[in-house]
Amino acid sequence: MSQLHERLSELQEKLRLGQITRRDFLRYATLLGVSVGAAEALAACAPKPGPTAVPPTKVPPTKVPPTAVAPSEPAPTAPPPVAEKQALPGHTLLVDPTKCTGCLNCAVACSEKWLAEYFPNEAKHLMSLEFSRIRPMRFQLVDVVNVCYDCRLYQWAEGSSKAPCEQVCPQAALTVVPVGEGKPGFTGNGYLNVDRDLCTGLDLCGRCLEICEDQFGSGISFDPIEKKAQICSRCGGLPACVEACPEPLALQFYPLMTNGRMFAQTPADLAESLYNKIYDKFGRV
Amino acid sequence: MAEMFGYAGKIARVDLTAGTVTVIEPPVDVLKKFLGGAALGMYYMVKEGLSDPAIGAFHEKNMIQFLLGPTNGFGPNARSTIVTKSAYNFNCITTSGGRAAAELRFAGWDGIQVVGKAKTPVYLEVIDDKITIKDATHLWGKDSEETEKELLASIQAPLEKRETIVTAGDMTPEWAAVRPPGGKGIGAKRLGAAWVIGRGGENRVWYACVTTEAARAHGRYGAGAIMGDKKLKGIVIRGTKGQKIYDKAKFLKILYDIQASEAKDAFWRLYGTAGIGQSESNVQSGYPIRNWQWCSWNDPDVVKSQDGPFMDNTSFKKPLSCPNCNLHCMFSSEITSSDPMMNGVLSDMPDWEAMGMVGGNLGYMEKAGKTPEDPQQLTQAERREVLAKIQYTTFLHDNYSLDYIEGGNNLALVQELYQRKLITEADLDGIKPVWGDVHAIDALVKKIILREGVGDHLANGTLETAKYFAEKKNNPEILKYACTTHGYGQPAHGVRSHADQNDLEYVTVNRATEHTSNGAAGFSKLDYAAGVAGQDVKCSQDSLVHCIFAAGHWAGKTADMIQALTGWTDYTEEDLFTLGAREYALCRIFDLTTRGVKDPKKEWDMMNYQHRWYEPLPNGPFKGSVAASGTPEKLFNEQLPAYWKARGWTDDKGVPTAAKLKELGIDDIAEALAAKLR
Repeated sequence: MSQLHERLSELQEKLRLGQITRRDFLRYATLLGVSVGAAEALAACAPKPGPTAVPPTKVPPTKVPPTAVAPSEPAPTAPPPVAEKQALPGHTLLVDPTKCTGCLNCAVACSEKWLAEYFPNEAKHLMSLEFSRIRPMRFQLVDVVNVCYDCRLYQWAEGSSKAPCEQVCPQAALTVVPVGEGKPGFTGNGYLNVDRDLCTGLDLCGRCLEICEDQFGSGISFDPIEKKAQICSRCGGLPACVEACPEPLALQFYPLMTNGRMFAQTPADLAESLYNKIYDKFGRV
Repeated sequence: MAEMFGYAGKIARVDLTAGTVTVIEPPVDVLKKFLGGAALGMYYMVKEGLSDPAIGAFHEKNMIQFLLGPTNGFGPNARSTIVTKSAYNFNCITTSGGRAAAELRFAGWDGIQVVGKAKTPVYLEVIDDKITIKDATHLWGKDSEETEKELLASIQAPLEKRETIVTAGDMTPEWAAVRPPGGKGIGAKRLGAAWVIGRGGENRVWYACVTTEAARAHGRYGAGAIMGDKKLKGIVIRGTKGQKIYDKAKFLKILYDIQASEAKDAFWRLYGTAGIGQSESNVQSGYPIRNWQWCSWNDPDVVKSQDGPFMDNTSFKKPLSCPNCNLHCMFSSEITSSDPMMNGVLSDMPDWEAMGMVGGNLGYMEKAGKTPEDPQQLTQAERREVLAKIQYTTFLHDNYSLDYIEGGNNLALVQELYQRKLITEADLDGIKPVWGDVHAIDALVKKIILREGVGDHLANGTLETAKYFAEKKNNPEILKYACTTHGYGQPAHGVRSHADQNDLEYVTVNRATEHTSNGAAGFSKLDYAAGVAGQDVKCSQDSLVHCIFAAGHWAGKTADMIQALTGWTDYTEEDLFTLGAREYALCRIFDLTTRGVKDPKKEWDMMNYQHRWYEPLPNGPFKGSVAASGTPEKLFNEQLPAYWKARGWTDDKGVPTAAKLKELGIDDIAEALAAKLR
């Protein structure tokens, strides 16, 4: 750091003498790899020029790079008290695809949570979106967030009120975990879950995803290690993806007043209709 | 091979002549020296002798490299880098946003190097470790968006597809009776990413880009032309292996800190680069107008067509992020115009370079019959048409995979020659390119991408266009109007006012006439060490590879990020500067060698067709101002040698000294070449 330190001292001196502006100091210092906060602290350390000092010549602002100037951090204040989040039954994930930017924060949060839960050894070093139950997919100029829609069959018409994937599972590995059961923060509260001891995996089965893609969406995936089914359990009512989403109202945990199958779409179909909605077009995407 | 973190530990070498795919394992010390992306690409270019003047850009032996850095994968703001030899005969280092780089890392690769030429069109399909050279005859002749759509629909990982097994017996009888199983098996997921070229690349337009996600481009020096020459239509990737990270807790903390900081960055999040033209460039007299004849409008209202709220209300549709970035600086847009050619066409924003190069520079902003010095008073409807023209010309360039910085210089040159009656429509296959005529521009661009008629000459870029007309008309004065440095078009940052870009930066930057390389702030105060430090930092960003738009959010965190990703706990921020110095030295040696120059200053550094730099600015707050304070001899004879000295290069030719190369640890690959140059 000695080389760096020398440059910084020089800069501090120039700032003190009024040869460079505070803005220039911050720009140089951050270019030298000092964090914005630290640079501001260093700028503050340079004594103010005395009243007799000649005021610095005003130079027009340069704009290269417009990027190198980070917004300054707000002054630290005590965080407001946070109400403890409650696990909520009867909710679903509601995506506004016009607000989703496809940044993948949701998938990173989800994959990190479930990878650590089921594969703690691998999770020490591995990061992989393949363990995520929620997957943003980028089509031409639209982002589709692919996740389980929580569909149910209609007893009066289809002879069952189970989820379609649950109905076709030969192992009864897919179950709805009732309120009061399951693992808080992961399963329970009336959401679907896969019993990984019972699931035989994609090599032997995969009926759950096949029926999902055939008639509903594509809300199931298989982990690349054991190839067992992964279905969104809404984290038992406290979904990590919603917490991770940086875009207001793009991904909400929303009361579900109806059968989730009203939302169900395969990714390509959803992308095509979204493209038509967003761009008023009727072409394939 | 020891377990690697951050990296996958292997690079694919594809030989299209032989039809083979082999694996290279880059040694750890090489990765540590060059990180990836730009610097690693230049390492291979120099090491493998591609600086040889006998290997032209379109030679079978030229190599095009798609290289990742350690942050590609889960790092925030990551971009992809392509390194090759440009058709302009200098290094081509070009970066782009998008998901393809992360997908390639997840497939278990640190990059792909392609040599040779295919006999018929091909594309590469990468599914994890398996890379297959596939027939692309059905895609040849299609443009970027269509090609990408088809490739993405074609690729799936083994976990995403399977033949049918569900039978009616798996369902309830009632359900099966209403809707029996469709028998399609599994295969609805769409998780791949692709790099592709359009017809501009296929027909080897010298400034053709490689595009991804419809509107993101590896722009500038013609990487797309090299793909086209190799008959490589695209690379489509699906990776399921993830990324191994040495210290995940530390890495995630940095990632989340950067993302949280970005989430408060209103400049990028609201309208991308829309703030620049409106609030800075016009005020600073750095705006390209009509082939740089002007650099600002007297009527400040003109740039209202490009302010954020106006563009947003008129045409923005949706923000689009790169992976793990919360700035989402790109917005898709749909053109609103009374002209049916443009109305409804989808484009992106435009970003700043497009506003300048295929906006002001093509004369789109003024009313007919008015000059930039006249009052304009554009109505809302007229502003919409201005915006539409910029967006449409952006779309043309993106879809055909062309660079609109060089493209904008090239087209504006033709327009100015026409304005000055140095050429006529007879020289342009009947096209009359008057300022602001988007239909004439449309016609010219279509000739360029097909290399049809005069388009065959225009397809070789601005300087070659000027040379062609100068020879044809037997009028060397024409060369004056090519606004190029090192033979390459100037980006939308003027130098005459000294308030925007800096002349020394354009002369010294390692990628011809680059505008994002960070040296200007130092050079504008003749602080060479600061300028060099700025340039070097940019190299590290292009090698990691992460986006400069997010640089402020990374400040002070970069070495920690590299340590957390790779486990190289001795990696420091200072190493990033050394990496930049390596890249600059290699680029300099590569460029001088491949061009076969005897006198670098005269033949390369002063290759400066910038007549306009020394024409006084005609209006605005910096009226009368010229580049280099009107003393080019000072720029080239005082500032340039002082810069070389700050770099540790010889002060007569600007060649890295033997001691400097040794200090940088690249004497083994570069000293023999440098010795010949000294």
